[in-house]
Amino acid sequence: MMMTLAAIDLGYTPHVVLALYLVVLVGIGFWGYLRGRQTEEDYYLAGRGQGVLVTVLTIMATMFSSAAMLGIPGMVYKDGAAFLLFALNLPLAGMAVYLLGSRISRMGRNRGYVTPADMVADYYDGSHAVRLLAALTGFLYVIPYIVMQIKAGGYLAQGLFPTAAPVSILGVEMDMFSLGVNALSLITMIYVLVGGMRSVAWSDVLQGVLLLGGMILAGIATVAAMGGVSGYFKAVSTLPPEAQSLPGASGSWPAWKLMTVCIFGAVGSMVQPAQWMRYYSARSSATLRRCALIFALVLPACFLFGVMIVALGGRVLYPPTLVDGQVIPHEMIGSKPSEVDQVVITMIQEQIPLLLGTGLGVIVVSILLVAIMAASMSTADSNLHALSAVLTRDVYDRYVRPAASERERTWVGRGVIVVATILALWLVHASERSTGDFNPLSLIAEMMLLAIAYACQLLPATLDMLFFRRGTRAGVIAGMLSGLLVVTCFTPLPALFLGGGSGIEGAAKNVKSLLDIGCCGFLVNVTVFALVSRWTRPVDPEAKARFAKDLNSN
Amino acid sequence: MALVEEAERKRRRLGRLLAGVFILALVMGPGPGIYLVNPSPDAAAPWTVWGIPVLYVWAVSWFFVMAATVVLAYRKVWLAGDSD
Repeated sequence: MMMTLAAIDLGYTPHVVLALYLVVLVGIGFWGYLRGRQTEEDYYLAGRGQGVLVTVLTIMATMFSSAAMLGIPGMVYKDGAAFLLFALNLPLAGMAVYLLGSRISRMGRNRGYVTPADMVADYYDGSHAVRLLAALTGFLYVIPYIVMQIKAGGYLAQGLFPTAAPVSILGVEMDMFSLGVNALSLITMIYVLVGGMRSVAWSDVLQGVLLLGGMILAGIATVAAMGGVSGYFKAVSTLPPEAQSLPGASGSWPAWKLMTVCIFGAVGSMVQPAQWMRYYSARSSATLRRCALIFALVLPACFLFGVMIVALGGRVLYPPTLVDGQVIPHEMIGSKPSEVDQVVITMIQEQIPLLLGTGLGVIVVSILLVAIMAASMSTADSNLHALSAVLTRDVYDRYVRPAASERERTWVGRGVIVVATILALWLVHASERSTGDFNPLSLIAEMMLLAIAYACQLLPATLDMLFFRRGTRAGVIAGMLSGLLVVTCFTPLPALFLGGGSGIEGAAKNVKSLLDIGCCGFLVNVTVFALVSRWTRPVDPEAKARFAKDLNSN
Repeated sequence: MALVEEAERKRRRLGRLLAGVFILALVMGPGPGIYLVNPSPDAAAPWTVWGIPVLYVWAVSWFFVMAATVVLAYRKVWLAGDSD
């Protein structure tokens, strides 16, 4: 007999747990401010002295977004066991932390880089165009990522306070979704503004621990609630065949697409600006080597034995229906296709009190829901902080006011954080108000893949600098422009400007059904990069030799 | 000197071998290798191994292969390759 939400009174426990969590976060923000020095480098890289524990947890927490706790389980709920295999991207991401991260870290220490564009532009003859393109790539990654984290805050507020009436703040009436969205944005903005990288990294430690524990705890609770290991798998075995095979219930996951999403999802996530800055802020390459090992072993285990188990169990307990080719969630989970993202929230709220009772159960539910909020906040804070670095260091410092003092630059960086938060908030509210078919922000997992596809366009230049050193400045510019353009063809923009049913839209839809969009952009990027590099002026050989020497020295 | 060169050669050979195994795991795990075990959507009964859906067993098995590769690489290739 399934207990409904209305039957479970969470009381004031979620308020207390949430309040404690938020107070600690703001406290960490002020602690970071007191420990820090008022320099740009300290604000963005915390003095380049972070050890293994902080570095690994901040890398994990930055990668662990609302997609990890909501979007990816939502895809497992929607498509079944096929999407479980996505967890295999994580060992590759761990490898990337070592192969790319330790080298980037070494170059950052040797040459004082702060942003990805610092390094890429420096290698390609100090090119302004390369710097701006690298900054643009970072911007295109960061904005969708912040938007989806903030949106998740709304879902969580609905989950934590399901029966709460709308509240009026400063004369504006807000439902729980709006309140969650606004509160998550405000708190995250405050502690990033105040303490910079030191606060972001230490809050990531708290959030990372909450997340890892939360994922495993949710998995154990789901298995226990469904009758133990044998009961759980017996129930899962009754899923319809399309939910136990490729290409999944919605037919979206043929093997080549799944593999390319795993590869480019992993590597793209590891060259995004926020991760790149974590490599710079690590104490040494050895720190990142240890982080790579821990990451590759711990994170996939948390997915495969934790949150994926929850999502698959959710598919058994709350089976979705297929209507006109769209997967519609069970009424307990939501009413719109995009609400498949809420499967973990529903599972936690419904199953844990049944298992643990309404005393301990409510406390565990509150902690787990706060853990999901931690997933969103830890990624939002890292991306806000990285965006601030990218726009301040790569644009303001270079082209707006090169003579600005360190103090002024830091304050401009803080201004960027405020503006980016307001922009992301506006996008979330506009998306929620949208009633038509055009709603590009509907599914968290799809936004994640688009953002990563943009980040992947920095990959050819990164690989060339670190390993091959055969590309040219013109090559990298042409390659990145082509890659970014190709990825943009997969967004709703062509339909918006060229009208629905255009050739580009149709071709993009066909290619997207076979391969990851980051992979498509990457392949075009590499091809153009290689061809243009073949016939254009190479990078200054002496500068190249100095770069290689610094790359190999500790 | 010769001993150092020999050790470095061995390290590089092991590194290439592990890279090969890791790439194989990527192709087999989430890649086209799945079609070796992928149940037919028209199958009367789902495919299970010891009562566990075959795709879950497949994912966990290849995760262990990848994890073993990373641990070996860490101990035998990365540690020896970096001096800091």
